[in-house]
Amino acid sequence: MLAASLAVNGVVLGSVLLMCSLGLTLIYGVGRIVNFAHGALFSLGAMAGVWLSGAGLPFWLTLILAPLGVGLVGVVLDWAILARIRHRPMVDSLLLTFGLALLITGVLYELGGRNVQILPVPSQLEGIVSVGGLTLPIYRIFVSLLAVALTAALLLFLRNSTWGLRVRAANDDPEMGACLGIDRGRLMHSVVGISAALAAAAGVAGAPIFTAFATVGDKILILAFMTVILGGLGSLRGAVVAAYAVGLIIVFGEGYFGGQLALMALFLLVMAMLIKWPRGFFGEGRTE
Amino acid sequence: MSDLAANPALERRASGRGLLIAGAALVAVAGALVPFWTTGAPFLLMLASQAVIAAILALSLDLLTGNTGLLSFGHAAWFGFGAYVAGLLAKLVTPEMLIVVPTTVIAACLVAAVTGAVLVRQIGKTFAILTLALSQIMFALVFVASDITGGEDGLQGVPVMTVLGQPVVQAQTWYWLLYGVLLAALAASLHIRRSPLGRAWLSIRENAERARFIGIDVNGLKLLAFVMSAGLGALAGALLALFNGAASPDLLSWFESGKILMFVVLGGVGTLVGPVLGGIVFTFAEHYVSSLTSAWLIYFGGLFILIVIVAPGGIFGVLGHAWRRMQGQGR
Repeated sequence: MLAASLAVNGVVLGSVLLMCSLGLTLIYGVGRIVNFAHGALFSLGAMAGVWLSGAGLPFWLTLILAPLGVGLVGVVLDWAILARIRHRPMVDSLLLTFGLALLITGVLYELGGRNVQILPVPSQLEGIVSVGGLTLPIYRIFVSLLAVALTAALLLFLRNSTWGLRVRAANDDPEMGACLGIDRGRLMHSVVGISAALAAAAGVAGAPIFTAFATVGDKILILAFMTVILGGLGSLRGAVVAAYAVGLIIVFGEGYFGGQLALMALFLLVMAMLIKWPRGFFGEGRTE
Repeated sequence: MSDLAANPALERRASGRGLLIAGAALVAVAGALVPFWTTGAPFLLMLASQAVIAAILALSLDLLTGNTGLLSFGHAAWFGFGAYVAGLLAKLVTPEMLIVVPTTVIAACLVAAVTGAVLVRQIGKTFAILTLALSQIMFALVFVASDITGGEDGLQGVPVMTVLGQPVVQAQTWYWLLYGVLLAALAASLHIRRSPLGRAWLSIRENAERARFIGIDVNGLKLLAFVMSAGLGALAGALLALFNGAASPDLLSWFESGKILMFVVLGGVGTLVGPVLGGIVFTFAEHYVSSLTSAWLIYFGGLFILIVIVAPGGIFGVLGHAWRRMQGQGR
């Protein structure tokens, strides 16, 4: 019984991680930037959800508007800040996104993020369902389905649209892509925008479960990093599998051994992975 | 400035170097005299002591990042490790500094050698992420063992330190002790930079592949830098815990790691002297800005972004550039 409900929670956490790590993977794939500000964007999404629903907007509208807004913030950040260091060594992008994370966290602190805020579950999604003797909270199922739907939409879009073709081309071989007329700078604006929107969607959808405060995304960021390393940096399907693996490990670890030990177990697993399979589950991650 | 040795223009600048050494000596002596200026302001002396600890910490990160190019986002792991281990040793075993501090540093070096063996094999970004994760694990450990570490409340009641049985209580004595450690560490680092070991490290930073081709044991030397950096970081942590008589889990937060990185970036990565200045300047600036506004994290993050975009060499890079220009004109 405990195992079953832990499994459900693991899937929920995995789904939230999935939305964050897909964005990380895309930004890394196209821009070769490891985005340390991704957790801050998650927090921004969660806080935006609280502000919008505090302004009286219904949950559904919040769930659409907050990611849109944060996505726009992402585009602006890329255009105004990240674009300045496109040709610098990788170290600079790590430092820069780290500074961004601090800046966003600082802004959130000033806007009420010091205290834990609650985003209520919408009334339609309250309650529980019983499936074969298991009682499942409806809202958690909804979050998982939302994550799966968004992921599927993103993957289909990547596979079938011109935009997706460009992203995949820039991911595989940036120089060749540039020769074929792909404007990597502008492509990056859209990639960062979409990734930020995904992180924010995870933040809003997760807010009724994880609550909302300025640093709510920090733990998610660490876990999302572990996810992309396990899946292989730059590998989308690796990230999908790894997100659920990490979610389950963390939740089961928390259930049986306590949360901090779970984190340590995960770290050891990641270290072991890196020794044995540095390119992730599908062997397609980058090691350069 | 050590780059000069490899520079054909070295002789031209010989007089400039003499001037530099004289200037550095002057600054070092001025630093030692701080307790005499602050006789009427005990708080200022305390702040100066904190700044010296921050400088040691910044230097320890620059030993890794500046020498080998490995960027650690979790350096607070060693700072906090040192603080907690030293605090616990002092509390439970003996307050004798000459036992506590070396034991702490050795413990940190051992842990760093084991974790580092895996970490230094990683390329830049994976290394950055994993060091961040490592610091989070140390952070978690404090809460796992909260019955001995005090958990959220921090480690309290670390007894007054003794050196060879003599209790160290006076603020001035503490300051000189910390300052002596800083000078010794800085001198040692500068010396290593000039030694064959330092040269080999720099070659790894510039081009690890070529370094391997000319027969340098890249991973071994990276591990050595990692262990030394962790050891000095833990030393700074140990001194802090003994100085404050307490340690808090904040020392291990990723924000603390960011601050250490900020010292180094602000001062200029790889310049050794720059991060030391960065740590001192930043500690004072942080104190005065945070007493003016609660939103200082915004300024902090903004400054970080600005420095990375506009002046990647940090203060010391900008100053060094100006200095070289002045030299160029004088010739």
